[in-house]
Amino acid sequence: MSIVPKETIEVIAQSIGINNLSDDAALSLAPDVEYRMREIMQEAIKCMRHSRRTILTTDDVDGALNLRNVEPVYGFTSGGPLQFKRAIGHRDLFYVDDRDVDLKDVIEAPLPKAPLDTGVVCHWLAIEGVQPAIPENAPVGAIAAPSNGTTYEQKEELPVDIKLPVKHVLSRELQLYFDKITELTLRKSDSTLFKEALVSLATDSGLHPLVPYFTYFISDEVSRGLNDYSLLFALMRVVWSLLQNPHIHIEPYLHQLMPSVVTCLVSKKLGNRIADNHWELRDFTAKLVASICKRFGHVYNTLQTRLTKTLLNALLDPKRALTQHYGAVQGLAALGPNVRLLILPNLEPYLRLLEPELLLEKQKNEMKRYEAWRIYGVLLRAAGQSIFERLKIFPPLPSTPAHAIWKSKEKVVTAAPNKRKASTEPMEHEPALKKIATDGPTTVSANSSPSPMQVETVTTLASPGKYEAGQPSSSEKMPNRVGKDGKVLKKSAILNQIWKDDLNSGRTLVTVFELFGESILSFIPSPEMSLFI
Amino acid sequence: MENMQAVNSFVTAYLKKKGFKEAEQLLEDLQKKESAPIDFHNDPDLAKLIHHFSQSEDDVARYQDGYSKLRSWTYSSLDLYKHELLRVLYPVFIHSFMDLVAKGHLQEARTFFNAFHEDHELMHSRDLQKLEGVLSQSHLEEMEFARSLRQNKVNIKICQYSYGLLLQYLHKTQSTAMLGVINEHINFQVTSGQPGSISDDTEVVTLIGSCQDAASLINQKEIHWGLLEDSLEERLEKEGGLLSDSEKAEAENKEGDVDDSKKRSVEGGKQGASTKKLKKDKAVNATAKSARPEAKPTPAAPRVKPELTLPVMSTEVEQSILEDLRNRVQLSSIALPSVSFYTFLNTHNGLNCSSVSQDGSLVAGGFSDSSLKVWDMAKLGQQAGSSTLQGENDSTSSEHVAGPNGVKRSYTLFQGHSGPVYSATFSPLGDFILSSSADTTIRLWSTKLNANLVCYKGHNYPVWDVQFSPVGHYFASSSHDRTARIWSMDRIQPLRIMAGHLSDVDCVQWHANCNYIATGSSDRTVRLWDVQSGECVRIFIGHRSMILSLAMSPDGRYMASGDEDGTIMMWDLSSGRCVTPLMGHTSCVWSLAFSCEGTVLASGSADCTVKLWDVTTSTKAPKNEEKSGNPNRLRSLKTLATKSSPVYSLRFSRRNLLFAAGVLSKKY
Repeated sequence: MSIVPKETIEVIAQSIGINNLSDDAALSLAPDVEYRMREIMQEAIKCMRHSRRTILTTDDVDGALNLRNVEPVYGFTSGGPLQFKRAIGHRDLFYVDDRDVDLKDVIEAPLPKAPLDTGVVCHWLAIEGVQPAIPENAPVGAIAAPSNGTTYEQKEELPVDIKLPVKHVLSRELQLYFDKITELTLRKSDSTLFKEALVSLATDSGLHPLVPYFTYFISDEVSRGLNDYSLLFALMRVVWSLLQNPHIHIEPYLHQLMPSVVTCLVSKKLGNRIADNHWELRDFTAKLVASICKRFGHVYNTLQTRLTKTLLNALLDPKRALTQHYGAVQGLAALGPNVRLLILPNLEPYLRLLEPELLLEKQKNEMKRYEAWRIYGVLLRAAGQSIFERLKIFPPLPSTPAHAIWKSKEKVVTAAPNKRKASTEPMEHEPALKKIATDGPTTVSANSSPSPMQVETVTTLASPGKYEAGQPSSSEKMPNRVGKDGKVLKKSAILNQIWKDDLNSGRTLVTVFELFGESILSFIPSPEMSLFI
Repeated sequence: MENMQAVNSFVTAYLKKKGFKEAEQLLEDLQKKESAPIDFHNDPDLAKLIHHFSQSEDDVARYQDGYSKLRSWTYSSLDLYKHELLRVLYPVFIHSFMDLVAKGHLQEARTFFNAFHEDHELMHSRDLQKLEGVLSQSHLEEMEFARSLRQNKVNIKICQYSYGLLLQYLHKTQSTAMLGVINEHINFQVTSGQPGSISDDTEVVTLIGSCQDAASLINQKEIHWGLLEDSLEERLEKEGGLLSDSEKAEAENKEGDVDDSKKRSVEGGKQGASTKKLKKDKAVNATAKSARPEAKPTPAAPRVKPELTLPVMSTEVEQSILEDLRNRVQLSSIALPSVSFYTFLNTHNGLNCSSVSQDGSLVAGGFSDSSLKVWDMAKLGQQAGSSTLQGENDSTSSEHVAGPNGVKRSYTLFQGHSGPVYSATFSPLGDFILSSSADTTIRLWSTKLNANLVCYKGHNYPVWDVQFSPVGHYFASSSHDRTARIWSMDRIQPLRIMAGHLSDVDCVQWHANCNYIATGSSDRTVRLWDVQSGECVRIFIGHRSMILSLAMSPDGRYMASGDEDGTIMMWDLSSGRCVTPLMGHTSCVWSLAFSCEGTVLASGSADCTVKLWDVTTSTKAPKNEEKSGNPNRLRSLKTLATKSSPVYSLRFSRRNLLFAAGVLSKKY
């Protein structure tokens, strides 16, 4: 009947040396034990309240025992609440995790650091009823939200409050801060001060009231300053910093921010001088867009689809400038694996379009050619990465015969290590990709003559038909071919393997391989690679 | 005897014909036992009744049955009357439970309790927690709460029709157990007309020890809530507009002071005689208070004379206070106060209480390691906020005490208690601190000498709270021993002992005119005591959990009390009625404070917020009254969230700057 069963009483009795406790005694003791326990808890709660706490600690129980003139229970004192663990196999049995400690260890252990002494600090919680936005105060929530709950609760008795339109008061300090930041962004975006300002934007807790002003400022400046490369970059860095700040809620202002951001990604012309590295700006903005989608994609589910549509339209419109195409590809690539797959189906026709632009003979304008190579690089990267993602999701399929065979050819693999090196470590993958994506174009611009890579591409583009014939053949035949052309054979063998694993993705890879040649191979992750080998 | 037999057979036949098998069986049993003849003129229902009674001893289940039927009937009753009938359920439930326990059916009592306690969990969870532990007859005797429940009847106001419904139901269903419980423990006050509104519930919610009548009787005593005659504020008001020139003011003040001290010395002599000539503010009787006094615009608070001999203030102190009063910021619902927040760091969960001196320059913390620590904010250097107020308290100088390792501490350490320090209070001038502790003592410390001056022993159990009176010299304490005591600084024995609470006295607060103290208790009542006579003059019933904080309005008419659940209640002292409950906090209200003109109430809570409430009932805001139309309108003005720091104490300075103190706590 009581929560203390008589068995408990019996066990306790035995533990203090009473072996023959009668059933009746145990039965009548049990309810009394429960009553006393409740009494102690009641007193302990009083002690807790007077210690201004809301969590009961062992000290409170000791205090309660003291009140009842009972010896306190020693050995449980602790600064904080006890950590209880659930006994395995029981639903509602808990115990205090009490480790055995070797006394020797305790004695030999170095003295712990002395705890910090108690101190008092003072700050303004409110000035004339308004909370200043300082780090000591809790971050301000959505403007004018908090008063709602209380007025609602009292509604039943009180006349309804008519709410006046909310007046948004911006403190003088915030105004100064805003002015300073905007001035820095406009004028001295390359100074160290601006860098510090960005850090402050990314970390300060009291900036929430300024967010609408910043969004307006950014969209305004972007629309006006499309010719000013450094300004645009500075603005994008401000956006990036604002996004980083954990204390502000930027969601309600995203719809104002996004157009300016997308502008910086796919605009036809960013900056007015040739020296302006607008590619970098596009890369940066693509990253920005990706991070926005990642953070708020689940809140605004239309965000990503709309963005994708915009970018894809920009890419598929042959009338748009190559720079726009570049931005669109970069943006799509940054958005994630699903989106990247959208590029692949359009890859072949697009490359066909691009091809004349790439060749020196056909495109005399060096600038145009450079742009085309840029796009080629970024397409390569996007396609490669999607293949990489694709392969990563494959379950490892240990096909023993193939395994044994490829093992014997380990030498061949090590023979061409420099390509592989980039992909041996998945962590290192990212920078390596970048290098590839930018390598090609820079060599082109440096030499302004057909680069070796170009030649290679052309040859490989021409050659796939030859290898394609061999692909459907079984892997057992492979060793024979290794001797002739280890590298190429290996490639086709891998493709073959994938072909067998997954017809669909294999086909994709083949297409990609056809389009890009062997440069795509560096995107194939090393685990898979080693599996095939 | 033969006649008897004939009758019996006649009755048996009748029962058979009617199909009352059980009754027939019963009758046969009775015949066998040669029991007393039955009144056969009654209808067969009686037999049924007897049948019930015959089984009553072993049939405990009828409590359960009866209650569950009554419950389902109540829940399906008419909406208009339902809430009245629901009120009946709770006393029936607890008394049924205690009946079962008293009769020794412990197992059944427990199942009964478990089956139905959820219904009342919302309103009476703490009572139920207590009762749940009652497991034997002896517990019923031992537990004060249970005993007082058993001894006293519950008063329930119920309208004619609901009462009729209930009676009809009880008769129809023959639930004698329920009828018995209701007859024994409930006192119905049947009123004609419409059923009462739900909000009237408060009176029934708390079943206090002394019966309701006693409480309402006490509440009819007259009290003088007016302010002290001749207070500084009053003088300032009189001088009011004239004083544009500060020098002129000083001169006049000096004259005033001379007068004042003369007057005082005279007063002191004929203290006893003068009390009779008090301007009496008749307390409004509970019966005759249909028209609330505060509905009409009232003049400034009436003045009363002090019942205690008050300490004499020095001229310099008076000067500084007057200076403050002149510089006071007027607060209202549109002009909110500035709040300076003192955060305690690295307390290692040991801070039990905190207190801020009147001018905010000193901050004291009482710790569970028996120590009392006092910080002088001026010495901390970075206190730009409070430094402007420093002028008020430049004489105080506590040395920076060097710690044992020669490391300088930022605070003055007061050691002397031998148990956790539960409360600390500064004297109005900031030169003394009182601290109360679990070691049952109260200690007086000097902030000038940095030493313990007196140790007051008198309480038998931990002293939960201690408060200096608004004029200093006197102080009140409250303890686990269920008493509150009045002390003066110069005597080591208490002057008065206030006994009457049924549980711990958790907090204590002085009335603005020093003639009364209010105490809040774990028995969920607030009481007002006359300091001179030591009598209880008001009982305020309505809270649903332990009362943790109290505040008196500066005009002396209202009192606010905050409890464990986060409810704050505003009381009218003269009527003893709750003006408005203020809902908003979600956890314990540790501290309450009225602004100096009484227009704003600040509350600090364990939910890490300071809330500001509009108290437009103040006599000094007649404009607001006219505008709103409802003078009792209280609303939350602003919620100021702290950064995970529960607010331990609040205090308005004389210039209406709000000081708040709290401890930075990690979340578990």
